[in-house]
Amino acid sequence: MKFILFTFLTALLVVVFNPFLHYWSVMLLIAIFAALVGNRGAGAFFAGGLGMGLAWLGQSLYISTVSGSPLPQKMGELMGFGSDIALFAVTAVLGFFLGAFSALTGSVFRRLLKRKPDNIYKGY
Amino acid sequence: MKYIGFLVVLTLTVALALSVSKQFGAIPPLAPLLDPYHGFWQNSFSEDELAEDILELSNLSSEVKVVYDENLIPHIFATSQADLYRAQGYITAKHRLWQMEFQTMAAAGRISEIVGPLALDLDRMTRRKGLAYGAEKGVVFIQENDPESYLLLEAYADGVNQYIDQLKDAQLPVEYKILNYRPEHWTAFKSILLLKYMTDMLVGDRDLEYSNLRKILGDVMLDKLYPEYPAGVDPIIESGHKWNFNPLAVTRPDSINYPDDQLVLDPLPQPEEGTGSNNWAVSGSKTKSGNPILANDPHLSLNLPSLWYSMQLTTPEHSVKGATLPGALGVISGFNENIAWGVTNATRDTRDWYKITFQDESRQAYRYGEKWEQTTFRVEEIKVKGEEAYLDTVAYTHYGPVVYDKTFNSNRQDVNFALKWNVHEGSNEQKTFLLLNTATNYEDYNTALDNFTAPAQNFVFASKSGDIAMRIQGKFPLKWKGQGKFFMDGADPRMEWQGYIPNAQNASTLNPGRGFVSSANQHPTDSTYPYYVFDNSFEFYRNRRLNSRLSEMKEITVEDIQALQFDDYYLHAAEALPIMLGLLGSEFEDDDQAKKYITLLKEWDFYADPNQKGPSLFYIWWRKTYSQVWKELSGNVAPIVLPSYYQTVLFMKNEPEGIVFDLKNTAQTEMASAHVKQGFKEMLEDMKKWELEEGDFSWANYKNTTIKHLVPQFKSFSVENVYTGGGSGIINATSERHGASWRMVVELGSEVNAYGIYPGGQSGNPGSKFYSNFIQKWANGEYLDFKQRTTDQTEGVLFQTILN
Repeated sequence: MKFILFTFLTALLVVVFNPFLHYWSVMLLIAIFAALVGNRGAGAFFAGGLGMGLAWLGQSLYISTVSGSPLPQKMGELMGFGSDIALFAVTAVLGFFLGAFSALTGSVFRRLLKRKPDNIYKGY
Repeated sequence: MKYIGFLVVLTLTVALALSVSKQFGAIPPLAPLLDPYHGFWQNSFSEDELAEDILELSNLSSEVKVVYDENLIPHIFATSQADLYRAQGYITAKHRLWQMEFQTMAAAGRISEIVGPLALDLDRMTRRKGLAYGAEKGVVFIQENDPESYLLLEAYADGVNQYIDQLKDAQLPVEYKILNYRPEHWTAFKSILLLKYMTDMLVGDRDLEYSNLRKILGDVMLDKLYPEYPAGVDPIIESGHKWNFNPLAVTRPDSINYPDDQLVLDPLPQPEEGTGSNNWAVSGSKTKSGNPILANDPHLSLNLPSLWYSMQLTTPEHSVKGATLPGALGVISGFNENIAWGVTNATRDTRDWYKITFQDESRQAYRYGEKWEQTTFRVEEIKVKGEEAYLDTVAYTHYGPVVYDKTFNSNRQDVNFALKWNVHEGSNEQKTFLLLNTATNYEDYNTALDNFTAPAQNFVFASKSGDIAMRIQGKFPLKWKGQGKFFMDGADPRMEWQGYIPNAQNASTLNPGRGFVSSANQHPTDSTYPYYVFDNSFEFYRNRRLNSRLSEMKEITVEDIQALQFDDYYLHAAEALPIMLGLLGSEFEDDDQAKKYITLLKEWDFYADPNQKGPSLFYIWWRKTYSQVWKELSGNVAPIVLPSYYQTVLFMKNEPEGIVFDLKNTAQTEMASAHVKQGFKEMLEDMKKWELEEGDFSWANYKNTTIKHLVPQFKSFSVENVYTGGGSGIINATSERHGASWRMVVELGSEVNAYGIYPGGQSGNPGSKFYSNFIQKWANGEYLDFKQRTTDQTEGVLFQTILN
């Protein structure tokens, strides 16, 4: 449940802030978010990745549908993918990795801060 | 351990973020490009989907209203000229920013900044020709002689720059995103440079080739193969026109020593074959309505975004509509409430080469008569993407830049040639268009044209008051017969141009008796014009077809004129094919394939319509035959030009057994028929291959008209294989890569009716539905209604915007 919520909130974060911020600022926000919320390792990685990947895929699908523009197809050919389908996939995958690594960084950072209390209890 | 883990993850994340923000070779930074909120996806929206009611534009004296019609053509309503041109700059940038900047980068020799070292030679050539040098002089000239126009140029630049400053990443044209750079500020200099770039596009010279031909052929044969006035020339100014002026004297030196080397140099890039235009006007006496009708279709390289951008520009004093050049002020080919005008290129040799004798290796001084003149040096700093800047030192003489020298001469022939070209002199072409936009009559038109230096144009004119006129305007050097046809010796002061033909003595005609004026890049006048006129590229076919049609047409309507612009009659084929079929004889009668083609050719009506098969067969057969006839000439290592198609057909017709057809290095004596047969044989081979690989050889499919994006590698932004007829030398001059880049027809009645179309669309954005939406109509010979709009008209409005 937490996983789904994390995914959803990451996506929401992208949808709300990405229009005003560059992708690297969004990455920073996701890292902070992950550090605050505290999913562990793989969970943070996949939830953050899916969140941003789905948000990017959704937005590109939305633009393409609303505008009906031939541009994705043209860009797909220009970049050597042959079609727009590949370009949707590449956008989603890129979003996934940016989101995933950001969330993982945040999550690992949180563990870093928590390390001391853990050790104290274990020690006694 | 956890610290290390964190550091590893952090490093990976940062490395990922950095690597997708960097360019690798030709691969652009991926994340900014694919980010759906800022990257290319955002360029999917068309202009109407992004329409805003109010946009901020500072420095206006009062608000400006911009009304877009259904075709995204903006109609700008301003209260002053300064506001009008500020808004023109802003609106043009909004739709064509990347293109206008890219074109001026090319003109300035700055493409290496965008694409890297592969454009370095191109940039060096552009700079060595001195285009930017000429534009700098133009800036000073306009500042000193015409400060009012300069203010308007600055207003336009301010409009462009306000748009650039407001531009959000999402709306940055997609080409910037792919090529990974950003627009810089616009300046008055850039607008002037753009007009110099047009000169470069339209003006050529063949001094190098003719120098070589003179050496190879001798004067007598040169005159025979390349006559300056071939039989049957039908000039722009009607034959028999009376010249009512006393010409200035031109003295020819008693003896002329031409530099006599045979030169293996790369010639300067020339205007591409197929670059030309038609324009004409018919007087009320020949039209059904009694109103004059004017037509213009400039033929240029077919590109996307289109070279032209349509606009209406209105102030309380004037209202003009037509085709603008993104980057230049006003309308270039168009009409207002009183007059209409159009342009075709007036090819004439205004570019000459002088051999420079430097005193020594340092090139500090060069011989001029008995003296040594000082050289000046201009260091061109060419920035190169991903590399250090390249410094190119160009020597300037009083003639102009030394284009070829030991550092820039692919074949290392150690020669120095200076280029004299009127594009290097201060001039104010922009003024011509500003004045034409507001002109009300024939006198205004003439005053406007007096400011025009280069590229020389045939300006057609028609007015509501019933006048039609044609004037060939440029700053033409006074030349003695033969001057500038070959390289000249720069050390000999007698080789200098002796001044310029006065504007009032440039060839022109007003309301000629035949009831029409026309031009299609042919000879400007008959041989009675008292000045020496020469060019290698005068056209022989479009003009004769056009003039014969205009002569026989009566009760002309707008539809007739539109049909004439789209006329596919292949006059060259009509003249050459019967001769070729005659010379072919019965040689191929046993070959079924050959018989099929001959039958097709015999049945063909000489119209190069898209579905016809005859034009493809003729085109191949002619080209094979032509290259066979001039095989020996073209075998020279030194660059030369070949005799014209027209002259070649004349030889085939008048002296098919003459010596011009004999190839000297074969044992037998060849006649025209041998070449025609060889050409036919080669055509059979080509056709066999074509039918096997492509199948259909109907004309449209064979010629494959393609409208290419300005970056040729961006193939998917181009439109290929447009189904349309016409071809080079045909009034509808649509060949593979060239053709009518703008078609306009204007009827000047009490109400002015106008129609226009160009092969592209108003938007420069390949993602917009307005990017290439005119192409189909253009290919079918259809037009858009170009009638002027009033500010309160409500029908057919796409959206409107207030600039404030």
